[in-house]
Amino acid sequence: MRERKTNKVLFVILLVLLFFSLIPLFLTFLTSVIPDGDLFHITQGKTFLDFEKGLMFQKAKMKVTGTKDYKQSDISNGNGKSLYFNPKSSERDIELVVFMLGKDINLINYIEFDIDINPGAKLRIGVKDMNDNTQYSEKAVSFEKEGWHKFRFNIDTSEFDKVDPKNTSQIILKFEFPEDVPNSFYIDEVFAKYHFPTFINFKTVWEENDFARYIFNSSLVSITVVLGNLIFCSMVAYAFARKQFRGKEVLFSIILSTMMIPPQVIVIPIFILMKNIGWIDTYQALIVPSLVTPFGIFFMRQYIEQLPLELDKAAFVDGATDWQIFTKIILPLSKPAMAVLGINSFIGVWNDLFMPLILVSKHEMWTVQVGLANFSQLNQVQWPSMMAASTIAGLPIIIVFLIFQKQIISGVVDGAVKY
Amino acid sequence: MTYKNKQKWVIFLFLSPWLIIFAIFGAYPIIYSFITSLTDYSGLNPSMNFVGLDNYIRAFQDEVFLKALTNTIIFVIGTIPFTLGIALFLAILLNNKIPLQNLFKSGFFLPSVISMVVISTMWIYIYSSSGLVNTILKSIGVTVQDRSWLARPESALISIMIMDVWAAFGYYLLLFFAGLQNIPAQLYEAARIDGASKTQIAFKITIPMLKPTLFFVIALNTIRSFQIFSEIYTMTGGGPSNSTQTIVHYLYQTSFRKFQMGYGSAMAYILLAIILLITLVQKRMLRSDFV
Repeated sequence: MRERKTNKVLFVILLVLLFFSLIPLFLTFLTSVIPDGDLFHITQGKTFLDFEKGLMFQKAKMKVTGTKDYKQSDISNGNGKSLYFNPKSSERDIELVVFMLGKDINLINYIEFDIDINPGAKLRIGVKDMNDNTQYSEKAVSFEKEGWHKFRFNIDTSEFDKVDPKNTSQIILKFEFPEDVPNSFYIDEVFAKYHFPTFINFKTVWEENDFARYIFNSSLVSITVVLGNLIFCSMVAYAFARKQFRGKEVLFSIILSTMMIPPQVIVIPIFILMKNIGWIDTYQALIVPSLVTPFGIFFMRQYIEQLPLELDKAAFVDGATDWQIFTKIILPLSKPAMAVLGINSFIGVWNDLFMPLILVSKHEMWTVQVGLANFSQLNQVQWPSMMAASTIAGLPIIIVFLIFQKQIISGVVDGAVKY
Repeated sequence: MTYKNKQKWVIFLFLSPWLIIFAIFGAYPIIYSFITSLTDYSGLNPSMNFVGLDNYIRAFQDEVFLKALTNTIIFVIGTIPFTLGIALFLAILLNNKIPLQNLFKSGFFLPSVISMVVISTMWIYIYSSSGLVNTILKSIGVTVQDRSWLARPESALISIMIMDVWAAFGYYLLLFFAGLQNIPAQLYEAARIDGASKTQIAFKITIPMLKPTLFFVIALNTIRSFQIFSEIYTMTGGGPSNSTQTIVHYLYQTSFRKFQMGYGSAMAYILLAIILLITLVQKRMLRSDFV
């Protein structure tokens, strides 16, 4: 009874510790869905214009077209100063242009401002991109209320299909006044509210930083290496487990001792070799050296050795060749060990930074790890996109882990304990 | 062809994948690397002049290399007690009849499957001026500097060490757990029947029985820590002012940024010597323990 109670306490302690140990992962994912800033200071939006300072100060932020008669005003919705338009009666279309400096308007959920305008006036939103293409929203929205009020305009990015919404230079608030509507108005506090939570960071990282390509490269290399490992390590292991030949123990102790050699010792000659045969920036440079690993041979030998010998013998008596025994008997029986080896070598290759960093220099040949390492060096402070990038790079392995945790864990334990 | 001769061919055929790959990407580079370490080879132009042991002597006069060596040793010695301590502590907790044991094993192990580059990226954020560490410190009233912990020479290395403890302990937890499970239950029963106390059981049974695992894990962790690279490359690039420079990162910079591959090879061989030494010590300790 007492034991069960202490176990319950232990369970709770472990649960708390587990939670703490996983905080960095939660943090990463949560940050990747915020629009801007960081998790403790989420930027939910941006004030474009507030008119507290004189018009001279607004020059870098905005301009007005369609009229010259506008000025800073003391009348406002309780927010200090506003902008007052008092155009000539012939000026029916007035544009307030906000400079965006190449921002992505996909981020913006809606634009909101305080306004005092005559009912019947209409608003259209225009977007101008870095290539000077301009597009206005199809529908104009009418103002209905009198006096000061907040007005919200939802941005639907799909409407702006003729401009590049990722690199917008201007957002244009176009006020249209029908003939019978007086065209003077006040405006203040122009604010853009961002989408939150948002997956736009993933989209940007995926499309603009070529992570799709990096994932493809990593997958291609890892899968090929895994297949090679499964076939070749098993072949070699079969010879060591089932055959007697001179020098067997010497060869095997060479294999064991090469397990200890760090890759840094052999990287320089491998780099020179790859350069001489023109394999720099190729997939085979990343694949071929890892096709057979000492660990794989060692691990498969352990497993094949304990398979019952009678099956081989029976097959041999029936006239089977070694190749047939290997493919028809040994390989099918070794499936559990192959699963362990396959998954573990997949993780090892996928996560490796050192070799790809040295053997590959062209961007389009980068693996996920090289891509992410360089991305993080360049994009510090851009936390949401950095965290989105690490989620993209880490997620495939986390999924593989969740599916194959049994094999992965037994690979760690068996590999180490037997060794 | 006789049966015996045929068998020889078959064996050779089965061994050939390893023989080929090992010859080209194992044996040849190991020898070539040693030869390179005795020359002034740059890696850019083919000239290769024999300079004897100059590169090795140079390494031990090179302030940056000595700094890298010191940092690496600080790293190894500083992380081992924490990584292994936490791992052992949790393994002992888990070694009771706890519900959802497998969930805990997987959960604690999860960071170990994530690549060091991803982990480093996460922790750059955690250590940033407005990151988790500073936010927590501020909220409990500590005045913090408005700079990343990685940007300050006095805190950069220790920050990376803390991250590494977090990233690694789950792996060693599994190894300790397996070691604990391998201790036969009869031993505990016999001790209990003889009236041994809990501390006696811990010190007379658990720890001695765990010694092989412990030696193995210490050696493994030491060897791995001597090779740290990804976290340095991603987080600091060896800076600020070489405060996080490590052997492998310096080797990388020397060979592939400054193109002094002769010198880089010498560093690689120094690293190899250190790793072989650790392995030998571990084997020796294991053997003396059993005899």
